[in-house]
Amino acid sequence: MLTIDSLKAFGANTDDALARCMGNESFYFKLIGKVLEDRNFDVLEKAIISKDYDTAFEAAHSLKGVLGNLSLTPIYDPVNELTELLREKRDMDYTPYLKTITEKKEDLSKVM
Amino acid sequence: MKRSTDKYVDGKRHILVADDEYINREMLENILSDKYDILKAEDGDMAYDLIRQNHNTLSLILLDLMMPRLNGLELLERLKDDPELKSIPVIVLTSDQASEVESLHRGAADFIPKPYPNPEVIKARISRSIELAEDRQIISATEKDELTGLYTSEYFYRYGEQYDKFHPTSDMDAVCFDVNHFHVLNERFGMAKGDEILKRIASCLMKSFPSDCVICRKTADTFLVYCPHRDDYSKLVETISASCDDMPTSVKMRVGIYASCDKKLDIQSRFDRAKIAADKIRNNYSVFVSNFDEALMQKELFAEQLMDEFPKAIAEKQFEVFFQPKYDIRGDKPVLSSAEALVRWFHPTLGTISPGAFIPLFEDNGLIARLDEYVWRRTAEKIADWKNRIGSSVPVSVNLSRVEMYDPMLVETFEKITSDNNITTKDIYLEITESAYVRDSDQIADRVAQLRDHGFFIEMDDFGSGYSSLNMISELPLDALKLDIMFIRTAFDKRNDTRMISIVIDIADYLGVPVIAEGVETEEQYLTLKKLGCAIIQGYYFSKPLPADEFEKLLKKDS
Repeated sequence: MLTIDSLKAFGANTDDALARCMGNESFYFKLIGKVLEDRNFDVLEKAIISKDYDTAFEAAHSLKGVLGNLSLTPIYDPVNELTELLREKRDMDYTPYLKTITEKKEDLSKVM
Repeated sequence: MKRSTDKYVDGKRHILVADDEYINREMLENILSDKYDILKAEDGDMAYDLIRQNHNTLSLILLDLMMPRLNGLELLERLKDDPELKSIPVIVLTSDQASEVESLHRGAADFIPKPYPNPEVIKARISRSIELAEDRQIISATEKDELTGLYTSEYFYRYGEQYDKFHPTSDMDAVCFDVNHFHVLNERFGMAKGDEILKRIASCLMKSFPSDCVICRKTADTFLVYCPHRDDYSKLVETISASCDDMPTSVKMRVGIYASCDKKLDIQSRFDRAKIAADKIRNNYSVFVSNFDEALMQKELFAEQLMDEFPKAIAEKQFEVFFQPKYDIRGDKPVLSSAEALVRWFHPTLGTISPGAFIPLFEDNGLIARLDEYVWRRTAEKIADWKNRIGSSVPVSVNLSRVEMYDPMLVETFEKITSDNNITTKDIYLEITESAYVRDSDQIADRVAQLRDHGFFIEMDDFGSGYSSLNMISELPLDALKLDIMFIRTAFDKRNDTRMISIVIDIADYLGVPVIAEGVETEEQYLTLKKLGCAIIQGYYFSKPLPADEFEKLLKKDS
């Protein structure tokens, strides 16, 4: 079951995130549930594979905002780096980032 | 008109959260919903639709910059271009510092970074933005004239002052436009047509002046413009009048200009002057441009000051009576025969004020009656004083103005003055200007006849300057004709033509009265007048007007 402690153990900055949720834990947990369903993860992956960097940037950028607001630092950090690289449209191998992101998402799912 | 109170009739202000991310929307709603009603949009198009539908009740928009379809910056631009929507404050939500600056440049009121800061910070920034926007709206409701969209006068003056602050060396004109007989247009064609005309004029003014000029509608049909100096006002006033050519009647504008105005004057006074200039041509149908005349203004201010200080001047005896001798030249030697009492004003701060500056002014406003009576009394006192102390005097003539001729108590006043001072009607002569006789001549003639019946000696002053008909003269009650000073001036200028004087002397002979010439300055004039048969002479050739004590010396010498 999702708890503040398990989220802390995952690496989330729960103090900041809870403050943004006005201290409402269940609201915070509900939003975390939603982020795992965010279709931008799919959009990002597909766009990177097809080298559609504009779409990839938009998706990464959106995810960055959401993950930042929920202070899900372990996923936020790679998404943030990816966003900056995509902003410059670097033609490079982004799959390590995708891999880290997927792993961290799975970690979060397990916590839940 | 949109008023800030319309926005929270149900107790809460409305905020639109436009963000494509569900989590961000939910998070903001959770933070704000205790104080605000939240509308939510998932993309730019939906946001725009909601804004259009709710623009009257929406207090603020929280706008994510990156959204599908219509992105945030495009939406912001669309809002700022729409007069109905541009006053709604927009706070941009962004995780990019570069976008923060750009959105502020594009008209965002503020930004909130992502990840969101502490909710208290968010709430404070939102509340501050709403407050500022509402204040601005109250200001814009009062700063603009509802009919024309021009500034109201209060704000106009403030913006004018602001203009001066930022353009201290600009050469500026204060300009006042008026519609000739606007109230008549309103009466004839109705208020609606009148309003249409005013709107037309306002829009024409806005087109005719560069956008940094300040323009307002001051009152009904008075428009003020504060602008850098220009010379094309007569063309401008034509253009504005022409812009109303399709109206049911011709609209004629007039303009008063205080050009290159003195910035040391406060701004309202500058426009008072423009208005004075405009009013000067109010009833003139052929002149439409009028420049403020500094000299005229000074003259009017001086006149105003003199009128204000008149009662004090009487109380403090600042007015003094001078005596100009008159000489009878009919014998071998000129003989001091009488004198004219002339008033002088010695003002404690303004110094000696010329009678030419205050007599016509006091004649216009009626103060002359009080001044004249003062002079009559002082003269009578002096005559009595001389008779008592040195045992001799000559008759002294005093001036009567036209207004006094209508005073039913005039005869009583003079009787009282003479009896109070124990002098007779032979001691004090009365000079009545010819023009007083002409208007309402019967009534005046009756009054003069009354005075004469009481024994007063009547001199018709300024004879030849008025328009007495020769037919009438023979019936007028008078004891002497006093030649208008212009006869002497013209007779002795280059033309050297004394025929007119001869004619007047002939008339006097016919009436059996003597002729008195005043303004005689040279021996040549004196000798000529003597030869022509003039009886009595007054002027600088013999003596200037003298203070009482100096005239007294003449009296003593003569006796």
